[in-house]
Order: sequence, then structure tokens, then C-alpha cells
Amino acid sequence: MDYDVIVIGGGHAGIEASLAASRTGYSTLLITQSLDTIGRLSCNPAIGGLAKGNIVREVDAMGGQMGKLIDATLVQYRILNRRRGPAVQAPRAQADKFSYSRLAKETLEHQEHLSLFMDTVTGILVEKDGRTVCGVSTGRGHSITAKAVVVTTGTFMDGRIFIGEYDAPEGRLGEERAFGLGDSLRTMGFTTARLKTGTCARVSSRSLDFSKMERQDGDEPIEPFSFDDDIVQRTQIPCWITYTCDRTHQIIRDNISRSPLYGGKIVGKGPRYCPSIEDKVVRFPERERHQIFIEPEGSGTDEMYLNGLSSSLPEDVQNDFIHSVPGLENAQVMRPAYAVEYDFVFPTQLKLSLESKLYDNLFFAGQTNGTSGYEEAACQGLIAGINAVQKIRKEEPLILSRTEAYTGVLIDDLVTKGTSEPYRMFTSRAEYRLSLRHDTCDIRLTPKADKLGLCSPERMQRLESKLDLIAQLKQVLKDSKFDGMNAAAALKRPEIDLDKISENVPEVNKFSENIRELVQQDIKYEGYIGREDRQAERFLKLDNLIIPPDFDYRTMEGLSEESREKLEKILPENLGQASRISGVRTSDISLLLVYLRRRNG
Amino acid sequence: MKSCVDDDRIFALATYPARSALALFRTSGEGSIESFASCFSSGKKLLAAQSGTLVHGVIQGVDDVVVAVYRKGHGYTGEEALEISCHGSIAAISLMAEKLSSLGFRQAEPGEFTLRAFLGGKLDLTQAEAVNEISGSRTRRAQLLALSRLNGALSDRIRKDRSALADAMSVIEVQLDYAEDEIGGDTTFPIERIMEARNDLEKLARTFSTGTLLHAGARVVLCGAANAGKSTLFNLFLKQDRSIVSPIPGTTRDFIESDCEISGIPIRLFDTAGLRESSEQIESEGIKRTIALMKSADLIVYIVDSASPEEGYLDVKARIEQQMPDVKKLFAWNKTDIDSSLPKPDGFLQLSAETSEGFETLCNAIASLISPSDFDCEQDVIVESPRQHQSLCDAVSALDRVLEMQKRSENLDMIAVEMKEALDQLGYICGELTSDDMLDRIFSGFCVGK
Repeated sequence: MDYDVIVIGGGHAGIEASLAASRTGYSTLLITQSLDTIGRLSCNPAIGGLAKGNIVREVDAMGGQMGKLIDATLVQYRILNRRRGPAVQAPRAQADKFSYSRLAKETLEHQEHLSLFMDTVTGILVEKDGRTVCGVSTGRGHSITAKAVVVTTGTFMDGRIFIGEYDAPEGRLGEERAFGLGDSLRTMGFTTARLKTGTCARVSSRSLDFSKMERQDGDEPIEPFSFDDDIVQRTQIPCWITYTCDRTHQIIRDNISRSPLYGGKIVGKGPRYCPSIEDKVVRFPERERHQIFIEPEGSGTDEMYLNGLSSSLPEDVQNDFIHSVPGLENAQVMRPAYAVEYDFVFPTQLKLSLESKLYDNLFFAGQTNGTSGYEEAACQGLIAGINAVQKIRKEEPLILSRTEAYTGVLIDDLVTKGTSEPYRMFTSRAEYRLSLRHDTCDIRLTPKADKLGLCSPERMQRLESKLDLIAQLKQVLKDSKFDGMNAAAALKRPEIDLDKISENVPEVNKFSENIRELVQQDIKYEGYIGREDRQAERFLKLDNLIIPPDFDYRTMEGLSEESREKLEKILPENLGQASRISGVRTSDISLLLVYLRRRNG
Repeated sequence: MKSCVDDDRIFALATYPARSALALFRTSGEGSIESFASCFSSGKKLLAAQSGTLVHGVIQGVDDVVVAVYRKGHGYTGEEALEISCHGSIAAISLMAEKLSSLGFRQAEPGEFTLRAFLGGKLDLTQAEAVNEISGSRTRRAQLLALSRLNGALSDRIRKDRSALADAMSVIEVQLDYAEDEIGGDTTFPIERIMEARNDLEKLARTFSTGTLLHAGARVVLCGAANAGKSTLFNLFLKQDRSIVSPIPGTTRDFIESDCEISGIPIRLFDTAGLRESSEQIESEGIKRTIALMKSADLIVYIVDSASPEEGYLDVKARIEQQMPDVKKLFAWNKTDIDSSLPKPDGFLQLSAETSEGFETLCNAIASLISPSDFDCEQDVIVESPRQHQSLCDAVSALDRVLEMQKRSENLDMIAVEMKEALDQLGYICGELTSDDMLDRIFSGFCVGK
């Protein structure tokens, strides 16, 4: 074998997959069509956001790179939803796109046991047994062997971009699609389908009139995404806000037939949560204006991203409606907005480990699996990379539960239910979001990463000292009085916060802002968190009932035909997962429970 | 996925949910004994009790009860279990159910005890068909079928309320799923919508007493002096209702009972031994029983022979009114078809059981008295199952907490927890709401995303 692991693709999934594998000492090759586009932020120049920010910190807590990359290259930082409660607060940062991508490449280049190679993978090599994957074949005719392969092709598999009447076989504007791999996978027996997504136009900063816009500054201090970083000191750049107007909407309505989406040229389904401007205008005709965020693509560039104006209309129409927006009258478009349609692999063909059910040692991660977003891709890449190694080691895969990480929710949703539009993470997808706070990712996940060899000793020490400080502060509060009552009890009252308590209990001030915030949330929401923990415990009992891979549903008398078909297709790995397959009856789950109990004696 | 959880503590009323001498509650699940002991006057004794023993004691503010103890491996389900006998009054039954809920016992789903017995190896597991039938009755579909059979309007109404709440929830969730500056559309807290659904659900929950009545029936006791015409009236009731089972003669008891229906309400009707004129001195066992029966009734009809009223009948009337304040009563001035009939005194209803003159008036009077105060004959929707009732009550109290928290301006993510609880409870009645459903509502209702 040439390598232990081959990772196809150098996007956010590929970066994490290749680092996870090589960092545990396994020789890894990352193959990409272009070494110059590693870690590129193809769409908006931002990392994080609600639920997504949590994922970045989950990836970081398990030894991933995304948090460190954004900490080092951010140009604006904000905490979202500060007023709406701890469970749904999350950090988001604007990135310097070029620095981010360059640092990603540099990190990969410096990583021991990791090699980079520029070529296009066109086929997957399979052993004589017809079941075990053993390498890849490439466009330039190489056959490279490996014990495990991770596919992270993003939007490049048979990608096609659309700008009005224009279309081109590209995965990103000006970048050739990956041709061949899709056919190869279909020949192997995988089912694929088309998805669609889009991105916004970039305009020259010099051509904009900022005096007609609202300025949006970042928050200080910057709380690092990475649990390894104590402080992040970066110069922040503002974003700007403006609005579409009647004329914008009129231009769009007049030209809607020239959109490939409405004209029927694009068959793939686009994301409802991130609609194009033509979608917004058509679906919400009563809205007088839509917000546009003008975000810098970096500190060393003039390009500005028009967030909120994603479109696949022709360039002349784009120019017209962009120029109708206050502040953008003279905007010079540097890159047009465009839609991209690409192949994705039905994720229901994967196990919870992200290994394929059809072939051994073949893993899939990222947008290939039907997701959308850098963060969603990164967390899958990390898990696929870890599990490729676990498979080679002949050890149990790392499977995160829905109760401990958004990553767990995401993968369980994908492989259990599949998806019909690009899947994005939302906090409302998680049943136990109080337990999935971004500031506690390290407590939940770092010990797991440590067991897999993905943690430095310093990181575990940092975690231990954090846990120690949390315990200390809780003890201080228990031992102190406030307003005639125990300070910990007083903190539960809505109108009391730790700042107020610190007036009487100055010891509180000895603790860092992070620790104080964390303890405050823990105590304030103790009742809810406790209740959720108990629910989660019960939930986990079903997840812990393993269904053996060779379980024969045909031996189960009384199982409905409808449920049997679904169960045989998805092959759930545990009872909890079985219960989440849409269309499987509750009665059949009860029946399955009876059979499993009998089997286990 | 509440229904396939099998490791919590459940309870159910094992006897008919109607007034009777005794009511039996059954629990199952690890921790049953310890948890029940915490509210029981003989707690220590209970904790030490062996399988198959009885412990007597009091539950403060509820009832005095006898508890049969089943340690793990014994009893029907094979789990640690209790059988609690309390008094059979409606009040005692509902107090007991509330108590058990507050101790963390969950109202069992239909067939759940049997399912646990299967799982515990107490019943023959090879009968897969039987298992399926049992678990089958627990399905959403079967629930819905049963629902639509019994009362399609009920699930319609709950679904309507749930849909309104889901819309309200989407207003909250969109704010949790998107940053402040990414949402276009109205995100004011939907108090009105929540309040409206909450009030409707509460109204539905209140129909449970009506439902219980319709399901379990009321006890109506006919009494009066010998020869007052009780048996004629009894037979008249039975004749009116063709669906009756043949009367059961009181072999060891001095009364006859039978089921019939009055104005659509099922009735258990009792014909009693004659009361003596001076029932002050209770002499015979028969009279003792008649009085006990009267006291346990929902309604008594005291019948007087208008042609030859027993002496002191007005005193008896007064005594009944005084001594049985909780029982509803009617006084019938019978045999008015006879010429020598005396004029009807105040407070009596004119009746001839012989010619059935005045019978309809009597029936209407009975129906209106035994119906709960909020009984609505026109009400198209009635909650009949205790489990549905429990879920409705739980949903209402979760919504009360939502409104309370909103008043205190607590964080939306916490309020969402209570909203979810309410939706989950309604989900047990008419199907779960998935996170995909919620996202559908968000995307169709709001213009979101940058």
C-alpha cells in the first residue's frame, strides 16, 4: 500500500479528515484538483453562526483545525443572540479569505505523515473481494493504493454553474469540475442526485458609497473559537448594511423568466434557509425591502461580498438590480453571483461512522453527503478521518450521540433520514440544545479525542484546570451569602447575575469572564439542564440498544411490510436510530425492542 | 418515543373509573416502592415489606389505603410493583392519580403492563402475534383510528390547537435559529395565539369529567317506604331502555341493580328494600345497606305513595337532605293516577310509574342533576381516556409556565423548552411534530437568511 489513508478533496472536510488521520501517525495523502484552492471559502467570508459556531468549537475540542484557522485570520468577531439565552448563543467571525486558505494549506504542508498531490480522482479501486476499497485512480493515469479512502468532493462532482442563460462545467466559478468520479461511484452501485446552491456577487469596495449604509462593527473582546487560545488580538473591520427597494424587486420580477431556476434549467433542489434574492422577492411579495450585508472578503483586498443578493439571474440583470440598491449605485461587479448544481451521494448509504454500507474502508464527508456550510463539512471530515483510522486499527468507530454534539445530530440526521435539500445545521434540529452549548464543547468532547490520540497533554491539562476553576467558583457561591440567601440560590433569580453578586462576594472577580459566564449559565438553568439530562438519559437507553448488523428482519413476525422495507434499507445500528427513521411505526419499534431483548437474553 | 421506554415507573387504575366500593391502582417499575414510601404513613414498613405482603397506611390528604407489595421478579410484570387499594369514590380516585403523577409515576399507555410482562419474561414471548396486537394498539395510527372512531372531532380540535402552537413555536424557533439581523417578518412573542390554544385545551381537559360520566355511568338509587312504587318505577326505567342486561337479583343483598340509559348517560340503577317509617332506629341489616347505598349514590330518588304517604315522610325528606349533602336527590310524589291521591307538597315531582305520566320530567331532572356543572350535551368533543386527559393537563401547565416566563422576560431558549413540552404532550395524542415540520413552518413563514 502506498498510503494508509487517501483523502479526495482539499475543502473544509478534506482538511479535517487528512489532519485527523495523519496526526494519529497514519500516512495520509490528500489529492486535490488545485493546490491553490485548499480551504477556500467559496461562498460567504464568515465562519460560525448559530449552531455552526458550536460545531466549530466541537471540531476544535476534538483536535480539529477550523477554530485555530479562523482565530488566526478573522477580521470581525460577533457573539450572536446574546439576548436570547445561553443555549442558542454562538460566535461568528468574518474571515480574511486569502489568509484563511493560505494558512490552511501551510498547516497541511507542515503536518507530519501528510502529503499533498494535485490531480483529479476519477475512480475508486476495489479489492478482488469486490467489497473492500484499496485506493484511487486519477485523471493523469495514476493508481494510488491505500487502506482507506475518504471522499470529500464538495460541489465539484459533475458540478455545473449557472448565470442566467450561461452555464459551464465548473465546481466554482472558473474552476473545472471533477469529472468521472460520479460515474465511477454510480457504477459501483451508489445512488446520487443533484443539489443546488448559490453564491453572491463580489463588488469593488472603491465603487461603493458607504455614507448611505449602516455600519456594523464587531464585538470586543474576541473570545477565541479554539479552546487552546487564551486571547485573539486582531484588527476588526466593519461590515455594512443596506436594503433593496421597490425598483430592485421590479427588476427581478421583470426578468424572473431568465433565471435558470425558474426556467427549469436547474433540477437540483436549493436550500430554503438561504434563498436567492429572486426567491425572496417571489415568495414574500409583501416585503418592501430585504437586508443586504456588505462584507469584506479580507483585509488585503478590495472585493466585498453582497450577502443577501445570491442570484442566478443573467449578469446584465444582476448589474441592474445591484445598482438600484442605495449605496451600490455605482458598484463595480468583480465576480457575478451564480448558482451551482452538483452530485451528492445519498447519505442514507452510510453508517453512523460515515463509512459506506456498500464498501468497506470507503468514507464520505462534507457537501458530497448533501450538507451545506463550511462547518458542517469540517465536522464530518473530522469524524470520517478519525474513523478511517479506527477502521485500519480495527477499533470501534467514534460515534457522537445527539445528546453530546451537533456533529452527532448532523450525522444521525443524514444517515437516518437522508436529505432533499442542502442540509444546514439549526439549533432546532437538536433535542437537547441546552446540553450543546459552545462553551462546554471541550468538557464533552476533549476526553474522547484524548482517548483517540488527538489531544496534546497541554490540552488535557487546560481542560482539567478549567473544570477545577468551575468547581471552585461553584463552591465559592455555595459558601457565600447574598441578599440573605445562599449566593448560588440567589443567582437563579432572573434579575440577579454574577456581576451583581460580585458586589457582595468580591472573590467572584478572581475568576475569568469565561468561567464566570459558564458557571452562571450552569446555575441559572440548573433545573432545565437537569430535566434535559434526565430526558437525554432515557433517550440514550434506546440508542444503547444495539441492533446487530446481521439482524434479519424477515424472521420478525408481525413486522409491518412498510417498516421492514425501511429498516432493511437504512440498517439502523441501534434502536434509537431505528425509531427516527421516518415512516417506521412505533408499534414496530416496540416489537423490535421485544426481539432485541430476547436475543440479548 | 415515549411508548417504547420501559424503564420508568408507570401506573394505571385497574378498576373501572367510576364510584364503587374500592378502587385499585397498579404501578410497575423500578423504584415504585421507594417512591411511594415517601408519601406513605407506613413508609418504613413498606420499604421492609416482602413480596406478596399487605401494608396498611395513610397518604396524607388523599386516603387510607392498603398496598400489596411485589418485589422484582414477582407480580404481573415481573418488575417491582405495587397494587394500591383505595376508596372507590371519584374524588379519591382522582386524588390518588394526582398523587402518583406527582411522585413521578407516568400514566401507562394502553397495553403497557402487558408489554412489560412480555419484556420481563412473565408471559410467553413466542406469541409474536399477540405482542404485535398489544403493541399495535399502542401505535399512533391505532390511537388515531380509535380516536376518530370514538370522537373524530376531538383529534381535529387538538390538532388545530397544536398547529396554532406550532406556529407560535416557529416564531420562537426562528429567533433561535437565525441571528437578530437575519430575520424578516414579525417576531413579537405570540402571547395571544398561545393563550387561545391554552384556553381551548383547558376546556377540552375539563370535558374529561363528562367523558368519565359517559364512560362509567352514574349510580342512581331508588328508595322509599315499602309499596311506594319503587319496583314499578325501576321496571319502567328498564322498559324504556332496550339495551339493558337482565336485572341481577340481589341474592345476598337486599337490592336489585341494573344498567340503563337516561338521556344518553349510562346509569347503574338500584332498587332497594323499603325504608321503614322510623328509620331513625336502624334495625335491620337491609336498611343499613340501603342507607349505605344511598350514601354512595350520585343521585337518589325518594319515592312517596301519594295515596297513602308513610307517616313522617317530610321528616325523612329533611333528614335525607341534611345527612346526605353530597348526594343529589329528587323526591317523587308517586301514584298520582289514583283518585285518592293527595295534593303534591312542595319539592316533589308529580309521577305515575303506572301510567308513566311525569316520567319524562323525572328523567330530565335526573339527567340535569347528575351531569357535571360544565356538562354540555351539545358538546361534540369529549375526552374519555385518562391518558389523553393527563397529556392535556400537562400541556396546559407547560403553557402556563410559558406565559409566566414570558411575563418575567426570561430567555427565549428556556421558554422554548416549555413550549416543546406542551407540543410533545399533544404529540402523544395526535402524533409527534418533527424538527423538520418546525423548519417547514419557519421557512414558509419568515423570509430568513442573508
